[in-house]
Amino acid sequence: MSRFLNFDTLSLHAGQIVDPVFGARAAPIYQTTSYVFPDTDTASSIFNLERGGHAYSRITNPTVGVLEQRIAALEGGSAAVCTASGMAATFCAITAILGQGDHIVASTQMYGGNISLMKNTLPRFGITATFVDPTDTDGFAKAIQDNTKLIYGELIGNPGLDILDLEAIGKIGADQHIPFMVDATFNTPYLCRCFDYGANMTIHSVTKWMGGHGVAIGGVVVDGGNFDWGATDKYPTITEPYAPFQGINLWEEFGPSAFATRIRAEAMRDFGPSMAPMNAFLLLQGLETLSLRMDKHLANTMELLDFLTNHDQVSWVNHPSLASHSSHELAQKYLPKGAGSIVSFGVKGGREAGKAFIENTELASHLANVGDAKTLVIHPATTTHSRIDAEALVAAGITEDMVRLSVGLEDVADIKADFETGFRAAKRIAKV
Amino acid sequence: MYADVQGKQVFATTGGKPFDNRKPTVIFLHGSGLDHTFWGLHSRFFAFRNYAVLALDTPGHTNSAGPPLTSIEAMADWLNDVVEELDASNISLIAHSQGCLVALEFAARYPERLKSVSLVASGLATPVNDALIKAAEEDPEAAIAMMLGWGFGSAGHLHQGPIPGNSMVAGGRKVMRGNVPNELATDLKACNAYQNGRQAAAAIQAPVQVIIAGKDRMAPAKATADLVEHLPDPEVTLIEESGHMVPQEVPNQCRQLLRDFVFSNNPAT
Repeated sequence: MSRFLNFDTLSLHAGQIVDPVFGARAAPIYQTTSYVFPDTDTASSIFNLERGGHAYSRITNPTVGVLEQRIAALEGGSAAVCTASGMAATFCAITAILGQGDHIVASTQMYGGNISLMKNTLPRFGITATFVDPTDTDGFAKAIQDNTKLIYGELIGNPGLDILDLEAIGKIGADQHIPFMVDATFNTPYLCRCFDYGANMTIHSVTKWMGGHGVAIGGVVVDGGNFDWGATDKYPTITEPYAPFQGINLWEEFGPSAFATRIRAEAMRDFGPSMAPMNAFLLLQGLETLSLRMDKHLANTMELLDFLTNHDQVSWVNHPSLASHSSHELAQKYLPKGAGSIVSFGVKGGREAGKAFIENTELASHLANVGDAKTLVIHPATTTHSRIDAEALVAAGITEDMVRLSVGLEDVADIKADFETGFRAAKRIAKV
Repeated sequence: MYADVQGKQVFATTGGKPFDNRKPTVIFLHGSGLDHTFWGLHSRFFAFRNYAVLALDTPGHTNSAGPPLTSIEAMADWLNDVVEELDASNISLIAHSQGCLVALEFAARYPERLKSVSLVASGLATPVNDALIKAAEEDPEAAIAMMLGWGFGSAGHLHQGPIPGNSMVAGGRKVMRGNVPNELATDLKACNAYQNGRQAAAAIQAPVQVIIAGKDRMAPAKATADLVEHLPDPEVTLIEESGHMVPQEVPNQCRQLLRDFVFSNNPAT
């Protein structure tokens, strides 16, 4: 092997050493809490970060490790740490470098959980955030304060689907020595490898398209390895001695994987949001077919965009692949294969018509998830984004009539037929 | 830690323990375009076993001030400047690839403080083809891809790194991107120009260990055989399954070999 392996091959093979005892081809489920050390010297070496190895599954686990290394390979990152959920990944990543008195500049268009974390929860820990319209690139620069230590956004905003200008915002961060973290859940590395455009770390809810089957919750933080932590003294958690590991200097000793190592050494140890080995196994099964599924998601999305934009019960359709979308050009630049399989649209007749549509579809499942193999619909204003205030709702681009659609892998003719049933019900409501 | 050597800043990681020149010293030398992090799975091990450790960035690389040095001989002299500045003694040199050429030359020129030399994945010379040197100057990404592509064996290409969650290849790429185009191109030219390996090898007085990788495309069997033939009574070990990046691809085997050799030839109290 002298040439680098391509995406589909990495999806199947990266990170896995074929079981040397029984030759199992699939990654085995190492359902164990702990690991027998061959001798005391090896044990102390693992605990002291002198060598790789497993001590306790809260910190590392061989099955989870395969998933981590596979995702790192697909993203082009230097290291990855899997967590119990996407929100755990976000929290661990933020707290690895921010603390009391620090500040985040974040996009307004993010998953409601991210907004709530930064608006309501992190301030209790002394971390504040300023939210900026993702289309206002200059706004990110203007919002930076002396204590800003992170720029955060979702490449494909949720649910407005505005596209972050990765290169421009990455440059703002690089110029001011502030890392740029991107929640890349909606794009996956198959549609865009954010590190190629200036992101320094990515977050994924692996629950979504990466797993794809809707059977396991999981998250991951990927370290791009491309941020110079040593350029300033703003990031002491990375560049200063870390007492719990005998004063280790992570930047000196781990270089491009220093950030991921901090998460492993602190967040996984002290907070403990570890991914279960069984979940890692399930998510690996999904990841093996990521590109095949994404292609089908995208094909179905394009068919449904055509269907919805020409439907007389639909008042508007929003997707970056449409020329009418304000982020269309950025989508073509960063997401040339397609801008994901989330679509938002308005049902004529407003809130009640939208409700009728959702309640009368049968194939499309009404639930709070995206990126499943099955088509999903939801009303964001009353569910995923119900915990954010009216002002933030407007900032996030959420309207009362909005239906968020996560396009699945069914035969698209069946999805259209199902939607017709929903639209007929909505039409009846609208006429009342 | 940083040291001022001949008016220029030199960086070395000390493996998590303050450098103490009263202890026997283990000095790690990296290969072309790389830096101290290449030895991360080895330097901390020795530091916590009572050795003074210096995993150096050669001039111009990552944290050490430039410009990069243009010959292996100059690198050996620079290494001696570092040793003298820090007054390091009882030295075990551990080197990989280009670092081995520097170690050969240093061992021949400055034998006084040396206790042992460990050479990992190297021949007596490192001829570099013109296409790679040209790529390093004009298309660094292509040069990095060539070097990492040839350098790592299947474990690297399959991202099967020894540290859970880490990708050896991606980590190497990030380090090398910080050391292009000047440092990498200069390193490669220095390797290509070095002709004194045979004489240097014959002049070495300290015990020498050679670790050979069975799937090494950058220091293939013929080259390593030439090295072994010209060294005085080396201790030779073949790790059949590894590519060129032995200290990262098979760190546990490599560390055990280095440990046994250094412990026996340069014991720490």
